[in-house]
Amino acid sequence: MTERGSARRPDRLSAVPDPAPPEAPDAGALLREVAKGDEAAFGRLYDLVAPRVYGLIRRVLRDPAQAEEVAQEVLVEVWRTAARFDSSRGSATSWVFTIAHRRAVDRVRSEQSAADRTVRVGAASMDTPYDEVVDEVAGRLERQQVRHCLDALTELQRQAVTLAYYQGHSYREVADLLETPLPTVKTRMRDGLIRLRDCLGVEVAA
Amino acid sequence: MIEVDIHALVGAYVLDAVDDLERVAFERHLVDCAACRIEADELRETATRLADGAWSVPPPRLRTEVLTAIGRTRQLPPGEPSRRERDPRAAVSRWRRLTVGAAAAAVLAAGAGAASWAVQEQRVRDESALAAAAEQRQARTQEILTAPDLVVRTSPMIGGGRVTVAYSKSQDSSVVSVRADASPGANRAFQLWTIRGTAAAVNQGVLAPGAQSGVEIVKGLPDNDVFAVSLEPAGGSLVPSDIRAQVELV
Repeated sequence: MTERGSARRPDRLSAVPDPAPPEAPDAGALLREVAKGDEAAFGRLYDLVAPRVYGLIRRVLRDPAQAEEVAQEVLVEVWRTAARFDSSRGSATSWVFTIAHRRAVDRVRSEQSAADRTVRVGAASMDTPYDEVVDEVAGRLERQQVRHCLDALTELQRQAVTLAYYQGHSYREVADLLETPLPTVKTRMRDGLIRLRDCLGVEVAA
Repeated sequence: MIEVDIHALVGAYVLDAVDDLERVAFERHLVDCAACRIEADELRETATRLADGAWSVPPPRLRTEVLTAIGRTRQLPPGEPSRRERDPRAAVSRWRRLTVGAAAAAVLAAGAGAASWAVQEQRVRDESALAAAAEQRQARTQEILTAPDLVVRTSPMIGGGRVTVAYSKSQDSSVVSVRADASPGANRAFQLWTIRGTAAAVNQGVLAPGAQSGVEIVKGLPDNDVFAVSLEPAGGSLVPSDIRAQVELV
């Protein structure tokens, strides 16, 4: 299954659940049940988060086969470590996507390491012009509040954040790609996320 | 030695755009700064909202495979439940445990990739031996990076780049990362040393000729050691000739 048509996916697919809002009240409750070994609760949690877990990993890795493999690892990891979730540190969905993103990025990095490092980051990036990628990502953000909030960022903030998150680039690579000094990139990632946070009204209930 | 403003990394950290040693250093920093933890938690929560934009239908077999896999996967017990609420260190170390395994794999991949060490090159032909060694190194790296007494030190390199040493007294070992801005040239290599007091420098390994970065585990680092990286002819030297960075471990 190549997922080739997914970019032009219809607005809703009735066979799968809608993308749940990230503050979905029951993800945390489900995760607490999962922590007690409740496989049925895990099935419901799967339905809630799997499209975003898989979609995010695929976004970062590009290759559907690899994405499927990593998504499986991530979802089994959610089951395995559910009892370690701490709701004072953030939402259940955020915890799941944190694991997913980290795994996807780790896969990117290990593949980069395995490849010939004599190819400099700047040269490698010629294969996928970042503008194209950012545009593509932006195109997929339709109907999402996060898209409107990304629009509220400065160009540099938006690129710094999306190149790191959706492409799995390190901040050093982002600095190379944007031909911007490292300290500036670090600062733009931070103040870009702060602006996003304020736009999205994100709070972490302690 | 430089003390960088580590908190400036908070954005890069929650975007997973830092390297493994920076991640460890940042999480150490969070242990001692409650306000920083709150900011990091909020920005992490914010960053994960970006996943909303990447929604995609997974292949149906994924559900079957995952549900089958969990049926034969034992769950971990809660981590230090009694300490978690009161002691931020427990919470941070718990987050660290969740993530450092994969992080360690990335460190090792870097070490086993193009930045291979000369000593490893001899084994490169035997894929399975290499994989086994990498697995062992991963376990060992994870052990060191998760040690409760881990200390991270970093120093710039002459000519650009930096050396980072993450060491644990209880593990009696360090994870060392060398990252130069430029290759030393095809016929030269970076070499790692420990220097104790006025005694002769002890060789701790040589990077592959031309390699500009690498990660290594170094055993036995007492408190008053200096860790050094020098530029040498390919294959290394008996004594350091051109020291490019020194990291003091006290």
